Amino acid sequence: MTVLPLDPKDGGGRFPGIDVQGQSPHWDRVTQGVVLARLGRPTDLRFFTVAEEAAARALFDQLLDQRQEPRVPVVNMVDTRLAEDQTDGWHYDDMEPDPAAWRSTLAELDAEARERHERAFAELSWEKQALLLTDIQAAEMWRGRQTSRVWSLWTRYACTAFYSHPLAWDEIGFAGPAYPRGYKNLGLNAREPFEVADARPAQDPAAHTAKSQTGRQR
Amino acid sequence: MASVKDRNASAWLLPPVPGTNRAMRTDMAQFRDEEEVDIAIVGCGAGGSTLLQRLARAGWKAVALDAGPFWDPERDWVSDEAGSHHLYWTEPRIISGDDPVPLGSNNSGRGVGGSMVHYAGYTPRFHPSDFHTYSADGVGADWPLEYGDLKSYYEDIEGELPVAGEHWPWGDPHSYPHSPHPVSGNGELFLRGALASGITAKVGPVAISNGRFGNRPHCIYRGFCLQGCKVNAKASPLITHIPDALHHGAEVRADSMVTRIEIDDKTGKATGVHYIRHGRARFQRARIVAVAGYSIETPRLLLNSACKRFPEGLCNDFDQVGRYLMVQGAPQTAGRFESEVRMWKAPPPEVSSEDFYETDPSKPYKRGFSIQTVSPLPITWAEHVAAQGHWGGKLREYMTDYVHWACLGALCEFLPQAENRVTLASEKDRNSMPVAHFHYSQCDNDRQLMQAAQGAMEKILHGAGAEEVITIRRFAHLVGGARMAADEQHGVVDADCRSFAVPNLYITDGSVLPTQGSANPALTIMAVAARAADRLIAGGASKPT
Ligand SMILES: Cc1cc2nc3c(=O)[nH]c(=O)nc-3n(C[C@H](O)[C@H](O)[C@H](O)COP(=O)(O)OP(=O)(O)OC[C@H]3O[C@@H](n4cnc5c(N)ncnc54)[C@H](O)[C@@H]3O)c2cc1C
Ligand code: SF4
Repeated sequence: MTVLPLDPKDGGGRFPGIDVQGQSPHWDRVTQGVVLARLGRPTDLRFFTVAEEAAARALFDQLLDQRQEPRVPVVNMVDTRLAEDQTDGWHYDDMEPDPAAWRSTLAELDAEARERHERAFAELSWEKQALLLTDIQAAEMWRGRQTSRVWSLWTRYACTAFYSHPLAWDEIGFAGPAYPRGYKNLGLNAREPFEVADARPAQDPAAHTAKSQTGRQR
Repeated sequence: MASVKDRNASAWLLPPVPGTNRAMRTDMAQFRDEEEVDIAIVGCGAGGSTLLQRLARAGWKAVALDAGPFWDPERDWVSDEAGSHHLYWTEPRIISGDDPVPLGSNNSGRGVGGSMVHYAGYTPRFHPSDFHTYSADGVGADWPLEYGDLKSYYEDIEGELPVAGEHWPWGDPHSYPHSPHPVSGNGELFLRGALASGITAKVGPVAISNGRFGNRPHCIYRGFCLQGCKVNAKASPLITHIPDALHHGAEVRADSMVTRIEIDDKTGKATGVHYIRHGRARFQRARIVAVAGYSIETPRLLLNSACKRFPEGLCNDFDQVGRYLMVQGAPQTAGRFESEVRMWKAPPPEVSSEDFYETDPSKPYKRGFSIQTVSPLPITWAEHVAAQGHWGGKLREYMTDYVHWACLGALCEFLPQAENRVTLASEKDRNSMPVAHFHYSQCDNDRQLMQAAQGAMEKILHGAGAEEVITIRRFAHLVGGARMAADEQHGVVDADCRSFAVPNLYITDGSVLPTQGSANPALTIMAVAARAADRLIAGGASKPT
């Protein structure tokens, strides 16, 4: 069975034996079609240029910590959305509509990498890429734009793709579609026969952070 | 009161299994464009569908046009988050201001049923105090009607959806037609935390039938309410009002984007609507026009219907159209528990508290907030985590901890402000119609409410035993933009939803709300539309031919 590589210290392997795909016979046919399509051959790229593809791949690998195969094909999934203009429609008055914003922010990412290291973003080492992103995230403004808006564009598309994938659901203990079967066992620590208990419930990622954190939707 | 079935037989017209009554759609009335119908309604959501059903029952020749599809839940909806993108209004829109409000998935709907297709399903009433916040507290606005004017409509709609919940102690205390649903881990923790911190919390009120209701099946607690209920357990006009409307001779014309309302320059009256269907420009003649396109699209359509008589936009002589658009502050706070919560199981709407709804004289701010369970699915939860600044390995690690988190959401009564408004941008959509530009900034009272609501949610979660809490600040529920008022200098429509400027033009959606309380708006939108329908039928407007 395929499992996304994730170090146990980062939460890998908390739901041993979980198999969302194995539950697909219990889903309705339309949902099967939509979800199982994500497991097939990734679509060919249509939207990103070659240079954009390189930058986007490296960016998504960083944002989602995908360091090796098998990966969720985030770049292909985002490319499809942008090629089909499957955006949320809205855009900030000081940003372009999403497809254009993707092109320009990826170009800026490469420009930033070249100014600092004389290479495109994708050509930098993992550490240098991570540092560069850390700097971008920390700044209020980045290359003439409000950083939070750029960051939100990147992470929204990245997370929507990654966490729509059954392999990512296996990783987080989410059992996936639930129609027509539904759930019978509600309540604390109650599980359906097909749900798997967290093997390491004490692994609390928030344990060593501030007790209260706040962010905002962008 | 007549039984629900006698007033609205929608639930009995559905097939006894999940799905749609196809014959009703194929046999539906089809009015010709040239035929002057009694009413053309723009938008088939909460407000539009309620009006349609009422008028069809009264024998009116009524057609409702909707820009989106006539959904077939079995075919069109999935039990999947990313696969539900097509439920939202994703045509271009521009946002700006100090606190721009993201739209799309969170603040819009399209297609027959409107935003209620993917709303959570909370259906609280407004409190009596909501209707005169200006006189009482010097903030917001007074409605040209009082709670008592809506009370019987609230009761009617609660019966038709139907609503399930415990006896409701807040506002005007009342009971619900269906008993409360069992709660999941998330609701359990809310109840426990509220008890520990001296806050009252109750199960409900949710528009999900609990028990037999016509041919509507029971909820299966699968938690995908925001993706459209394939089961037909959660109420939306698609199943609660459209079937009865069709049965009484109404037409629902889907895939029809209305671009302009036509005004006769001589009489100053509306003569019908221009719309685009299947690529062709068409014009439906109508004796009365009602607009119910949601708080962004309604003002946009009025502004785009400028003509000789109304050079600044239809009904906009006093620069009121598009203004006083409101959004509720909707911070969500999650808490971490050693137990497994699995908050995504069961409908996200479960438990609420209205303890903080009213103005508290001991606080520096006016008005208040409510607190409810919300139960984000993985993608929405990732957004919550990413909003804390986490990415890469930390984001993945947080996400593997998903089963341990419970999440509450608050609805803060942000105040209506003239500068928070929709205007037309120079950018055009694919129908060559200028897109809406929505400008939004909070005021000081708003920010204080947001802070107080976060504090209350943290207290409840800690009371339930959470160690860490994380909050995302966000918005929900647009209303206003063409508000009702006592006169045309302060609003666009009167208490009966009739526009001041055009005697045969009505607005019957959330746009007419002058204030929003901290209640989710759909029930009130339906009640206001049902009341407007009654007035129309009683002859407030000239009688149908
Ligand atoms: C994620 C989410 C959760 C929510 N949860 C809740 C909740 O729990 N409880 C609650 O009370 N409310 C909730 N709401 C809000 C609620 O759904 C809306 O407030 C309500 O449906 C608005 O009613 P309306 O009649 O104003 O517009 P809608 O119901 O949105 O209907 C407008 C309709 O008009 C159509 N339309 C627009 N423009 C045109 C045009 N030019 N031509 C033709 N058709 C047009 C649209 O396609 C749409 O179908 C939620 C909303 C969202 C997005
Ligand atoms: S939880 Fe119940 S109401 Fe919500 S979508 Fe599922 S069946 Fe429908």
